[in-house]
Amino acid sequence: MIRNYLKIAWRSLLKNKVFTLLNIIGLSVAFGAAILLSMAGFFDLSFDKFHENGDAIYKVFSIWQNPKGQQVSESHGVPLMPTIKKEVPGIEKATRHLEEEVIISYGEKEINMEVSWVDSDFFSMFTFPVVKGKMENPLEKRSDIVLTEEMAQVLFGEENAVGKTVQALVDGKDKPYNISAVVANIPENSSIDFEVAMRFEEEASYQENIDAWNSRYHSVYLQLSKNMAPGQFDPATRSLIDINFAERIASAKRDGALPDTDGRFYRFELLPLEDENFVRFKNGALEVLRSGPFLVLGIALLILFIACVNFINMSVAQSGQRLKEIGMRKTLGAKRKQLFFQFWNESLLVFLVSLGIGAFLSVLLLEQFKTIFDTKVSFDVIMTPTIILFFAVAVILITLLVGGYPALLLSKLGTLQSLKGKIELSGENRVRDTLMVVQFSIAILLITGTLVLRSQLDFMRNKDLGFNKEQVVSFPMDGKKNSYDALDLLRHELAGNPDILEISGADNNLGYGKDGSVSKSVFGFEYKNRVINTHYLTVDYDYVETLDLELVAGRNFSRDYSSDRSGVVINEAMAKEFGEKDPLTAYISFNDSIRFPVIGVVKDYHFEELDKTIQPISMMMSRDYPLFYAYVKVAPKNIAKSFDAIENAWAKIEPNAEFLGSFLDENVNRTFRKEEKINTMITSGSIIAIVLSCIGLFAISLLIVTQRTKEIGVRKVIGASVANITFLLTKDFLKLVLISFLIASPIAWWFMDEWLQNYPFKIDLSIWFFLASGMLATIIALLTISAKTIKAASQNPVKSLRTE
Amino acid sequence: MLLQLNNIFKWVNSGGQRIFLLKDINLEVQEGEFISVMGPSGSGKSTLLNVIGMLDGFEEGEYHFLDESVHNLREKHRANLYKEYIGFVFQQYHLLDDLTVQENLEMPLLYKKLKGAERKAKVADMLDRFNIVGKKDLFPAQLSGGQQQLVGIARALISNPKLILADEPTGNLNSKQGEEIMDLFKQLNEEGVTIIQVTHSEKNAAYGSRIINLLDGRMI
Repeated sequence: MIRNYLKIAWRSLLKNKVFTLLNIIGLSVAFGAAILLSMAGFFDLSFDKFHENGDAIYKVFSIWQNPKGQQVSESHGVPLMPTIKKEVPGIEKATRHLEEEVIISYGEKEINMEVSWVDSDFFSMFTFPVVKGKMENPLEKRSDIVLTEEMAQVLFGEENAVGKTVQALVDGKDKPYNISAVVANIPENSSIDFEVAMRFEEEASYQENIDAWNSRYHSVYLQLSKNMAPGQFDPATRSLIDINFAERIASAKRDGALPDTDGRFYRFELLPLEDENFVRFKNGALEVLRSGPFLVLGIALLILFIACVNFINMSVAQSGQRLKEIGMRKTLGAKRKQLFFQFWNESLLVFLVSLGIGAFLSVLLLEQFKTIFDTKVSFDVIMTPTIILFFAVAVILITLLVGGYPALLLSKLGTLQSLKGKIELSGENRVRDTLMVVQFSIAILLITGTLVLRSQLDFMRNKDLGFNKEQVVSFPMDGKKNSYDALDLLRHELAGNPDILEISGADNNLGYGKDGSVSKSVFGFEYKNRVINTHYLTVDYDYVETLDLELVAGRNFSRDYSSDRSGVVINEAMAKEFGEKDPLTAYISFNDSIRFPVIGVVKDYHFEELDKTIQPISMMMSRDYPLFYAYVKVAPKNIAKSFDAIENAWAKIEPNAEFLGSFLDENVNRTFRKEEKINTMITSGSIIAIVLSCIGLFAISLLIVTQRTKEIGVRKVIGASVANITFLLTKDFLKLVLISFLIASPIAWWFMDEWLQNYPFKIDLSIWFFLASGMLATIIALLTISAKTIKAASQNPVKSLRTE
Repeated sequence: MLLQLNNIFKWVNSGGQRIFLLKDINLEVQEGEFISVMGPSGSGKSTLLNVIGMLDGFEEGEYHFLDESVHNLREKHRANLYKEYIGFVFQQYHLLDDLTVQENLEMPLLYKKLKGAERKAKVADMLDRFNIVGKKDLFPAQLSGGQQQLVGIARALISNPKLILADEPTGNLNSKQGEEIMDLFKQLNEEGVTIIQVTHSEKNAAYGSRIINLLDGRMI
């Protein structure tokens, strides 16, 4: 029986080659896209889920009240972790965690690695399996260091790394460390990422901050014991807050901060480890948001839905041709069940073939997909039993539903009516129209999304950020030399070059450089009996000139005034914070005796990403803190040559360091990676959606024209023109597109409005976005069906009548 | 007695009016009969045949087939009943275009869930009996009308029905082909198969042992 079904299915599919082909193409593309997209989605959702103790691990974050409202932070002071361990019950293990870069050298090799400074509990809390060396407590001694397999390979090749001694550059000095263990490479879906792990106590600033509650620069992870609920943490930490944060709370009260609902000014809460990748700070609160991966999964689902709608519509529309067969089979004794299985079999065949092709496509396109969509997904990360089960269930459900619906519809037709071929599936037309409306609504929704996203991205790219991004190169000053010396050497090297206009340095980059690191330093001080918080930037001479920042008052640091070393240049937002009539009379005080006067005010510029408003910032020239980035302004001509000159000069100064320079506009563009990722995702999603919808539309137009051949003939005989008939045939489709537009636009508006709320600097959501996408959908739909309708309309009526 | 119709009424409602398709039909058919149903277009011949074949229902009356009361049966049982005992022959042959002659013959057996070997034997038997062994791998479109109807009859006979219902079996054939088909029916009847045919032609009607005349849904 099965063989018989397969044979019949095969023949009937062959007989309708065009539709079978359209179905298989559509479904294959949809399956391929859905597999890739859902892989990316599941990959994102799988972040940090591989830790065996993951359920019990939490990250500590603090919430404090200040006069402007509530603020949260994941950064803590060095004494916090030991104090919690000592005073809070139910804490099984704890570690501080700080990610930095460190230069590790062994023999001739000198490599800049990503380091995680952690406490000894780290490897027993998190699942980063040791492959060689000391399994238990690999960071037992402060002189221990742990490498990943990849880094061990880089440093030692095939040799055994365990037991070897490497030098690490800490606080400007090389210090020996003993490799106690090598761990497996960190999985791609881990928020904690390192190449070497070292004891936190060894980090350069540990000693000076050992009792400093105020200097908050690292995160803290806790593993709770079974009988401790995360909700108990806040009450359990209140006494330690009252003791150690008394001063801070007192000044908050004085400055007019309002306590939270529990009457507290400062408190600690816990964030589950598996939420870490999805957390963002918004309006002084932590927000765990998985909408990104769900959006991707949603698009995958929408694409699949469109292809399935095509399949259903084509199957139902084609059923007219099979009425006779159905009736005949029934008179020959076929039961409903048997007919259902026969038709379902055909669907199954198409689905399996498409699924095969789709899976093949996804394997083929995986690498491109990973580059374009900036995801690290791979098949082995995804291949967990749950996800495989999910895919299996999804496929079975889809074939059952989508293949089953037309089969059910056909198998329940009455014997006699179908034999006579008299069945009007007019009720089903409503189903078809509804499905097509949904299909086109999805397409219009995605087109609108694409248009709005693109405009916002363009807007941000072209926005005047307040500094010169086209002519300035920045690069990290990695290397062993003192950064100020290195910068002077660079000035010296490039001195005679007429294309090099200005050189300066700072301890932070603008945008994301090729090293991909960003940092943020904020500090607070007392000014006339209130606390002012400001971003803090260490700069060298000429920073303002190099970046073409606009001075609105005072002057920049100058070599002519040695007192400028203890001066400060602020931005307008900071000037406003001071609230002085003349900001040049203001000063920053570190304690009662040391005051840094404001010597200049620059116009506000976007030193942070564009989804943030411009915050107060203060630039200082303290030579106590190192610079991390050099900035070089070049002349607008010979840009490529100048870039090479900088690279060569740097290679002379730090021969071992990799040159990671890039122009600031590239850096700024890199900050839009998130937007670009969503944008590519939605753009490709909408293209696929449109193509698939068009395939469906084309097929339906084909069938409808065939069904109405006689009507067209009669109308022509009576005297209808080609235009009349084309209009007649097109009208129904246009109506559907119009309804889709009316449905999709408000939804699109809502979504896009929500999304734009994330940006303080945003485009206006004008009606043209919606009209444009509606027009686009209409034009595409028209083009799709016009070929068929015009041909049918211009046919000789005698011919179309004869076919009856 | 093979089947019995008592006071069968069938109607449709159209524009508030009841239009009778069959009116008070009383008919008794014995095994081995060869009945011809005659009447002008629209007199209800085909409807009557469909009612007897259980493809169509009726509004009033009783229908006994063998020992079963068809009017009380559920759809599923009715289907089982006609599957078991009735074979259909149509004016348009209604062969399945996608299947070869052999496969068309095999299909009713598939629905009866016969084993492979048994099906093969029966199909071979039938091909032999109708002299169409040479055409077994052809598709219906490759056969003449007469040959197609031959296959149609063979298909109706393959599950050994007690009753053959033929709706103008020669309507689409030329006179020679028609004669051959009618001879075949006569021969089958002599072998014991009960036949009810609908026909327009006096000549074909004469093959039967009894003629029923219908006018506006009434037997006259």
